[in-house]
Amino acid sequence: MFNPFLKNRENLVVYLLIWIVIALFHWLALYYLLQITLEDAILDSLVYNIFYAGIGISLWYPTRFITFESYSMPRLLLNHLMAAIITSIIWVFLGYYILSNFLIKEKVYYEFINDSLAWRFVVGILFYAIIVSLNYVIIYYNNFREKELKESELNSLVKEAELKTLKYQINPHFIFNSLNSISSLTISNPEKAREMTIKLSDFLRSTLSKNEKMKTILSEELKTIKIYLDIEKTRFEEMFEYVEDISNECSSIEVPAMLLQPVFENAIKHGVYESIEKVIIKMNCKKDGEYLKITIENNFDPEAVPRKGEGIGLTNIKSRLKLIYNQENLLTFTKENNIFKVNIFIPILSKELINEREN
Amino acid sequence: MSEKIRVIAIDDEKLAIDVIKEYLKKADKVELIAECRNGFDGLKTISELNPDIVFLDIQMPKINGFEMLELIDDPPVIVFTTAFDQYALKAFEVNATDYLLKPFSESRFLEALEKAKKLLKDKNKADEKIESLEKYNENNSECIERIVVKNGQKIIIIPVDDVDYIEAQDDYVMLHSSKGKFLKQKTMKYFDEHLDANNFMRVHRSYIVKINSIQQIELFEKESYKIILKDGKNIPVSKSGYSKLKEIFN
Repeated sequence: MFNPFLKNRENLVVYLLIWIVIALFHWLALYYLLQITLEDAILDSLVYNIFYAGIGISLWYPTRFITFESYSMPRLLLNHLMAAIITSIIWVFLGYYILSNFLIKEKVYYEFINDSLAWRFVVGILFYAIIVSLNYVIIYYNNFREKELKESELNSLVKEAELKTLKYQINPHFIFNSLNSISSLTISNPEKAREMTIKLSDFLRSTLSKNEKMKTILSEELKTIKIYLDIEKTRFEEMFEYVEDISNECSSIEVPAMLLQPVFENAIKHGVYESIEKVIIKMNCKKDGEYLKITIENNFDPEAVPRKGEGIGLTNIKSRLKLIYNQENLLTFTKENNIFKVNIFIPILSKELINEREN
Repeated sequence: MSEKIRVIAIDDEKLAIDVIKEYLKKADKVELIAECRNGFDGLKTISELNPDIVFLDIQMPKINGFEMLELIDDPPVIVFTTAFDQYALKAFEVNATDYLLKPFSESRFLEALEKAKKLLKDKNKADEKIESLEKYNENNSECIERIVVKNGQKIIIIPVDDVDYIEAQDDYVMLHSSKGKFLKQKTMKYFDEHLDANNFMRVHRSYIVKINSIQQIELFEKESYKIILKDGKNIPVSKSGYSKLKEIFN
């Protein structure tokens, strides 16, 4: 945070104007009420007020460091009291020294200034109190504004994330095309049509009931994915094949729900939908040290022009993984020799770690 | 007409074609002469068999239904079949070319077929409809990501990123890309409006340039400028083009 009086020209002008008004009153009081000569009154007012205008600007720095958060109330007050006394004494005597030694030679004035030192000291304390209080108000106002801004940013982020989730769940193209396949199968193969209806229902139910905050075990997650792939297989028949290699120890490892679904949707969308060659989707799961390593790959048509939005799904998953596990690079992908390959690393949490997190 | 009406169905899902096949059995004097599973195949089959009516899916691999249609010089009557395509739907609303939303009923299908048959008798009207659909596509301001062109018998898909510049050529435009030059039957206005304005700029009445391919801008004659591309080609710049260029490069 910058010194508010120096932050921009307007603030500085306002600050100096206030001092000019104070100096004016100061001069008027000396000249009219206390019968000091015009010249002496002007000099007195100028010296003392210019000094405090300077001191006032520098008071910002102690205010910044003596905060309510880091000091108890009595200590804070004590600190400021000491600072107020010291600045006032310096101010009063510096002014006195300059005025009496260099500027003013008149005897009447000497008497007056000697009598008024105590009053000046009180005014110095008062100035200190006013400026420091003002600084605290400014600091708290700024903090409040900043917090408000952050909150609204956070809110829009949350909304965006929710919107993206919604988009995943409802893919109208997939649903209507699947319904069309069912319509077709009722003519040629009613039994298969019934099977497909059930699969589509199971898939929709599972998608609608899960959300991205949940966790599930790998084998559960794969069940939904199998249903999804079965439906697409009915639609595209010989156009694609799914091969999986999952080691037994992986099945019961906990993974975030709906994490792999978009990866498979991607493979279908950019592989099968865009290619006139057969597409093979391969999945491989194994333990790799402290991680569950999941690899999903598919061949694709290199001539297919990347569509808008490609990669957004994967970026989403990456940031989700980062959010959950607080680690970077848990998802990587490569495009080589017409093979698109996604690697996902899911940290395997030990029982104690899980308990710790839940508490 | 004593002859049978010849129909082709183009869809990347076999089951979707099966439905059309089944419904056509009930129709009078109509014959399904071919099934195609992608746009390339569709294009070839249409030029070989010259069908009367085509049932055409929109989302297909390689080239979509609209892009395929762009490459046909004398298109047959088209009935679109689609599951869900917001832009396409809007296109149909302003256009009388019929469309079927999947899944569709037999009666709805036969209705579309009747409409298509009527259009068949009135070739002018059919052409008009295709034209107005194309016009609609031109007016919608979605940015394009690829351009499909025909080079002899070959179909070439050019990602817009591969295009260096576009040059007006009578009723056509010449696309200059890293793969070579290709003629495309579209207007400069179309490309001006459908290429991403962050990457492409109309620098002259007859030229649109990819900003990334610009090497430098030079004074050509008094108060007139030209662009030198990275591959050394020179492109004239109009006054308004120059002020637009100045805005980005400063």
